[in-house]
Amino acid sequence: MIMNRTCPPLRLALLVAFVLSVALPLAAQEPAEPAAVEDEQADETAADGEEQADETEAEEEEKPPIPPGAELEVSPTELTLEVGDKATLTASVVGDDGETIEGVDIVFFSRNRRRLGVNPAGELEAHGPGEVTVIALVPKEVEDEPRRAEALLRVEVEVTIPNPPVESVEIVDLPGAFYAGTHLPLHARVVDITDVVRDNVDVTYSSSDTGVAAPDGFGGLDLVAPGQTTLTATAEDASYQVEIAVAPNPTERLEVTASADNARTGDVVRFEAVGLDRDGDAVDDLPIRFLVAGTPSARILAPGAAAQIEQDGAFVAERSGIYTVTAVAGNHSASHPVRITPRHVNKDIEFVGQGKVSDRRTSDLWVWEGTDGNDYAITGTWGAEGHAYVWDVTNPESIVLIDAVRVDARTVNDVKVSEDGRVAVISREGASNRKNGFVVLDVSEPQVGVRILSRFDDQLRGGVHNVFIHDEHVYALSNGRRFDVISIEDPTQPYRVGRFELETPGHSIHDVWVVDGVAFTSNWDDGVVAIDVGGAGMGGAPNNPVQLGSYAYPSGWNHAAYPYRSESTGKFYVFAGDEAFPYGELGRDPRAAPPRAAGWIHVISWDDWENPREVARYQVPEAGTHNLWIEDDIMYVAYYNGGLRVVDVSGELRGDLYRQGREIGMFMPFDPDALVPNAPFVWGPQPYKEHIFFSDWHSGLWAVRLKDPDDPNRIIGEPH
Amino acid sequence: MRVPTSWLPPRAAPAAFVTAAALVPAALVPGPVRAETDPVPPSREYHAYVCAESEDEVALIRFGPSGIELLKTITVGSFPAEIEGPHGINISAGGRHWYVSIAHGTPFGSIHKYETGTDEWLGDVKVGMFPATLDIAATTGLLFVVNSDFYGDHVPSTISVVETSSMTEIAQLATGTMPHGARLSRDGRKLYSVNMMDDELVEVDALRFEVRRRLKLGAKPGASAAHGDHGDHQTAASHGGAHAGGAVEPSWVTPPTADGLLYITALSGNAIYEIDTGEWKVTRRFDTPAGPYNAAVGPDERLLVVTYKKSDSIGFWDLEAGSEVARLATTRRIPHGVAITSDGRFSLVTVEGIGGEPGVVEVYDNGALRRVARIDIGKQAGGIALWEAN
Repeated sequence: MIMNRTCPPLRLALLVAFVLSVALPLAAQEPAEPAAVEDEQADETAADGEEQADETEAEEEEKPPIPPGAELEVSPTELTLEVGDKATLTASVVGDDGETIEGVDIVFFSRNRRRLGVNPAGELEAHGPGEVTVIALVPKEVEDEPRRAEALLRVEVEVTIPNPPVESVEIVDLPGAFYAGTHLPLHARVVDITDVVRDNVDVTYSSSDTGVAAPDGFGGLDLVAPGQTTLTATAEDASYQVEIAVAPNPTERLEVTASADNARTGDVVRFEAVGLDRDGDAVDDLPIRFLVAGTPSARILAPGAAAQIEQDGAFVAERSGIYTVTAVAGNHSASHPVRITPRHVNKDIEFVGQGKVSDRRTSDLWVWEGTDGNDYAITGTWGAEGHAYVWDVTNPESIVLIDAVRVDARTVNDVKVSEDGRVAVISREGASNRKNGFVVLDVSEPQVGVRILSRFDDQLRGGVHNVFIHDEHVYALSNGRRFDVISIEDPTQPYRVGRFELETPGHSIHDVWVVDGVAFTSNWDDGVVAIDVGGAGMGGAPNNPVQLGSYAYPSGWNHAAYPYRSESTGKFYVFAGDEAFPYGELGRDPRAAPPRAAGWIHVISWDDWENPREVARYQVPEAGTHNLWIEDDIMYVAYYNGGLRVVDVSGELRGDLYRQGREIGMFMPFDPDALVPNAPFVWGPQPYKEHIFFSDWHSGLWAVRLKDPDDPNRIIGEPH
Repeated sequence: MRVPTSWLPPRAAPAAFVTAAALVPAALVPGPVRAETDPVPPSREYHAYVCAESEDEVALIRFGPSGIELLKTITVGSFPAEIEGPHGINISAGGRHWYVSIAHGTPFGSIHKYETGTDEWLGDVKVGMFPATLDIAATTGLLFVVNSDFYGDHVPSTISVVETSSMTEIAQLATGTMPHGARLSRDGRKLYSVNMMDDELVEVDALRFEVRRRLKLGAKPGASAAHGDHGDHQTAASHGGAHAGGAVEPSWVTPPTADGLLYITALSGNAIYEIDTGEWKVTRRFDTPAGPYNAAVGPDERLLVVTYKKSDSIGFWDLEAGSEVARLATTRRIPHGVAITSDGRFSLVTVEGIGGEPGVVEVYDNGALRRVARIDIGKQAGGIALWEAN
């Protein structure tokens, strides 16, 4: 944005012209409107082949020369604005003789225009808190020093915009009763004058009678003795008061019960505590805290944190030993011990067979039983020539490549096969004609050959990264923005029936998985979104997807999601996988080591669409997740550099599954003849019949199987 | 890898040329090739940074007396397991930095800054949907990139303005549907871009960051009224939502000449438009083979070299005469970008290739009107910028 330092009337005229042309508030935050739009006449004229300007060119001004030694002077050079404040920067170019040089173009811009806008006249408007730099510059002439692309003169103005004042504070989530001798955590809701709920404001608490209730200085409240007191919360100049009446604690004793006295590492033991009065009746609203202490197994040296208990009473141990869970309410406490033994789920994973692909990268896989009763797999290729490979995996010890389909694409990232095993869909990215979309294949007779039934690219030309087949419909991602639903009831003539797109700013979808008429999408910052496409009873259908709920987490790494109802508990979980490469390595050079990934599996308890809750994680340190699969309460995770991981996810899930000894086994597909030798980069797993198949980016298709350890007493490292 | 240059390649092969010429009406077949000389080896070296869009690589190549050579490849992007698509590339005045647009993100693309020579990554900034062509003003250091949004719903998109010293997006202005091509005037005060799906040229005030003028480009009589999708080299297939105007689909605009003339390629209109920025009107229109896509004007402002994306050839135009003086088939399919050396002697052309084929950089002698060198690079060669190392 520019201010032309001309005589005041012209400057004013330019400002007015600017305001009128952009028709935007002063800040001109996001995107400016076109200055003008062609009219009908121009269009008609153009159709006749006689193009015509729709505007006349603005008068060009002769720019004055700027002598050496001139300086750009901007005032003020720093200032403080409250949110909503406006101010004007004055700027001029002054020669070394001290004279102002008129008619010089001075450009203004803000390095954070969402917090601070600036217009061509140097007028500022503060929109949000922060430290923002405004730049004023004078372009150089083309004849000036050409060796750098930079302005002739430049000044930075630092603008401080403090947080808006707090409008209100309120103490929330207070219990219905207050009992002497107990302790309460306090929670406050702070709102500033811009109606933003703030969590970065110090809140202090006080009590009018600390002999009744006394803040502990750590955000909690000690209820000391029966009586009345006024509790006050203060945040900046705002305060909130509430009268509380502390009653005598009627509790005579606490009782603690556990769902089990013996369990394994990783098992969730449910503790319940209740305060009882002298009549043996439960005391309502009694704040009870759970604590855990224990002695890990003597064979475990320096065990670290060995167990946890959450305040809902869910206990889980990472190490074997004897633990004591204690419930505390005021002066009353009660304990219950629990014995934890090692989980002992580990198995060996042995190599069975490999369909080697070492001249290009392998992407996803799908394994299915063919209509002829044999077993087949299809794999995609990445950054190559658009191939999908079809394998006979009936004998996993001897995986045989039986066909290859080549489409116009550089990457076939995803491959899926219909429930009846007759139709496959492969995604296309990097098509030479940039049409992309997906291709439907007839895989009903793989031994005879796989043939292309149809191609579908309408409105999918930006690339289809992932697909899913469910009930004769293809759910295909479009350009990373939405999923489209395409009927393949007649696979030779696919047609679109619906689509779903989030409305959040900057949304981006990465994957879709459909189970029982509910689609689960993975959306980076927007996390996992559940959508009814006919199975949730919320009015959804393939042609009318209806959002059910969503769950996002702070990293914004959500890349995959696998919905799963636990066979052992009936609880419904979504296992959300990350994808992240935060170490700045791109590592596509086949001669070099592959990049390192990060991220883990987030376990989301989602029995209520509106109340998903992240309850557990499976995280392999120093490695990162890609795709996953869950079957029979066992999770299979492609962990990129961390190889294939097999994890026991039976029972209720809480805490850190990796540290709980739930990992059944791991397999690192080292291959000296791989595209990148001996560099596992596992892409996707699929358990199938008695084997586990997985694709590896550098080495193709693998088959392995679990087996009991050769020496069950052999311990690598320490027991759990 | 070094590929020796053949200084006596066959002239524009008659058979190949006939094939290309047969694609256009007889009246459009150009006149005799006016090759002035046999190719003369270069007396100096030229360097170019070239995008390989389906490889997520930028190649640094050297062309000189000893031939053409791939000096190195630089992997670009942020996600090793996703193809992110480096599309546009340019080098700042003085040659200290190169900038590349990374088309795909989650969902927004980005601009990455590197130091020339060391090719050290210096920073990046998120911009809009599918950023493509970019240019950097020598007089301000500001970078302008079109957010082409090739695959969106054909709604108006934007041009981002980036302060290159801090790699901060400082403005984003709506310009039109599928903006492509972005070239600044030499003084850095005006930016020219074309909206492929609006069939218009836009002049942006590069100091105020606002659209200053628009010019509608009309189709020649009889042209299809439907737009193809970007890069559709096979057919200008209809697309839902295509506007009701003629199918010009302007895809590139050259920087203004000293006389204020711009040259615009019309990907679906099969023409080149000459625009007088002073008069703000079309002064000439040249019919071309199918799919003129990128173009470059030589330093003498007489030669225009055009890639014909849908015809697998390039054209050399005499701007004074307004005629195509030579048309040469490329060695692979889908020619894309073109850059002319600062001495005007050579044109470097990128060719995408099909599927798993390597991309190609081809070098043409602008005097002899012959291809004198070629070298394979990563898949889908696209944006190209000459680095005049100082």
